Amino acid sequence: IQNEEKAHTKFNFEEYMFEKADSVNKALDEAVMLREPLKIHEAMRYSLLAGGKRVRPMLCLAACELVGGKESVAMPASCAVEMIHTMSLIHDDLPCMDNDDLRRGKPTNHKVYGEDTAVLAGDALLAFAFEHVATATKGVSPERVVRVVGELARVIGSQGLVAGQVVDLSSEGLSDLGLDHLEFIHLHKTAVLLEGSVVMGAVLGGGSDDQVDKLRKFARCIGLLFQVVDDILDVTKSSEELGKTAGKDLVADKATYPKLLGLDKSRDYAQKLMRDALIQLDEFDQEKAAPLIALANFIAYRDN
Amino acid sequence: TMSISVSAQEFDLKTYWSTLIKEVNSKLEEAIPVKYPEEIYKAMRYSVLAQGAKRAPPVMCVAACELFDGSRIAAFPTACALEMVHAASLIHDDLPCMDDDPSRRGQPSNHTVFGVDMAILAGDALFPLGFQHIVSHTPPELVTETRLLQVVAEIARTVGSTGMAAGQFLDLEGGPNSISFVEEKKFGEMGGCSAVCGGLLGGASDEEINRLRKYGRAVGILYHVVDGVLEAKMQIVRNDKKKKGKSYVEAYGVEKAMEVAEELRAEAKRELEGFEKYGDKVNPLYSFVDYAVDRGFTMG
Repeated sequence: IQNEEKAHTKFNFEEYMFEKADSVNKALDEAVMLREPLKIHEAMRYSLLAGGKRVRPMLCLAACELVGGKESVAMPASCAVEMIHTMSLIHDDLPCMDNDDLRRGKPTNHKVYGEDTAVLAGDALLAFAFEHVATATKGVSPERVVRVVGELARVIGSQGLVAGQVVDLSSEGLSDLGLDHLEFIHLHKTAVLLEGSVVMGAVLGGGSDDQVDKLRKFARCIGLLFQVVDDILDVTKSSEELGKTAGKDLVADKATYPKLLGLDKSRDYAQKLMRDALIQLDEFDQEKAAPLIALANFIAYRDN
Repeated sequence: TMSISVSAQEFDLKTYWSTLIKEVNSKLEEAIPVKYPEEIYKAMRYSVLAQGAKRAPPVMCVAACELFDGSRIAAFPTACALEMVHAASLIHDDLPCMDDDPSRRGQPSNHTVFGVDMAILAGDALFPLGFQHIVSHTPPELVTETRLLQVVAEIARTVGSTGMAAGQFLDLEGGPNSISFVEEKKFGEMGGCSAVCGGLLGGASDEEINRLRKYGRAVGILYHVVDGVLEAKMQIVRNDKKKKGKSYVEAYGVEKAMEVAEELRAEAKRELEGFEKYGDKVNPLYSFVDYAVDRGFTMG
């Protein structure tokens, strides 16, 4: 999607991203301390602090601030979504799953710490995400924190991330995969966690049911957009530019949007998702919505 | 202590326990319906609904809740969650890259039936399902949100990197004093957590929560130590290859293990003395302690 307007001049997105990523990284570093047994905590920190873009935590913080909450209220939840994202990557990379050696340009967790520790580090991050939300969230009613625990659980479990991975694994090598099927995988593997990040932020920020609902729809479109762009990049970019193995989807004969729709129509679809997402933000204060709009643009126009 | 042990004997633990098993089983059955994608639900159900499960954590949780006049209905969702997260831990412990155990409770282990990938995912799905079950099924009029968050944090900490995951890690990697550490983490934590959760749901005070934690830990370890003694006496050969020589009994022998068991029994009962003011309602908790050692009947 090359031609859509990128100009949100009043709002300095690069500065915003840099600041937010920095505060998220600090919060993550403090949340998962190095303690006994050392190796398991090292393994947790190795993947958690490997320097991802922190898109999910940022969505969570931005949604919180959009509805009038302070950043600090959503910080534990935004750390939790990153812990969940990281644990799902650790487990997905295992030899019995996607069997990946590289992640974010570094050896995968099990390559460094062994499979047993990688499984346990993932389990521990999963559990800690809940502990952290339940104990570290301050300045909001316990009723809202309970809703966040429910949302977090929903997005990971057998109707969320796990469902996406299950269907993805069982679809490998199937050449006649339909668009519905592909959409199910992506909605669950990617969109659901982005959606959850935004919803948790909105709930913690004090958003009304109507606001939470609109932001949920926004995030669902953005989540799908994320994956469509990912598929396009896999075809059009090199491994070096991506920091992971390019063309992997093609080699594995995985269904992707470019494969099912062609490259042009995939780009059209990405644009439609972007429009559908932004409509949901119409009724919010546009100045306050600037970070979310910029994050959506970032997801659409990113090159790795 | 004489009067206590008499009244504990009068308490019909077998009926209490088997009634709770039936209730917990039917609630677990409802909590994990088969939906799309079916394979994952089948894998989750296979381990959680396994025949012959003793449901000790749920029973401990309900009994602790009832000690403070808490309603069973308030405790059931958490009781079920304890079974879900416990099953998740066991599924992952059995994996080829961990204990490499092809069977569990006399049945093929989860990965033997569903494959390693599905077993990992079944565990990954059962942890959050436990938390989701607690927040969506506990009646808000019976338990405050603050207490619910304490329960969630308690369970998360118990299965996490300083609890059961730490126990499993040291079980595999070894280390100084690892046997007692592993017993404490893998078996004590779950017992302590079950009792503490019941107390939290029933409205126990902080001091009472502390007692329940020590009590539950002692009972959890006690069960496992006595299990080891019974296995040794029946000369059951354990088939988890990587764990040979790592149980308490295998390391220290039957006699020393029984000494430890008696110390744990005394320790657990000492904590219960703090609940004297609740009268007969503490009897179920006493009866668990004696049952752990005496095994007067077969459960599950």
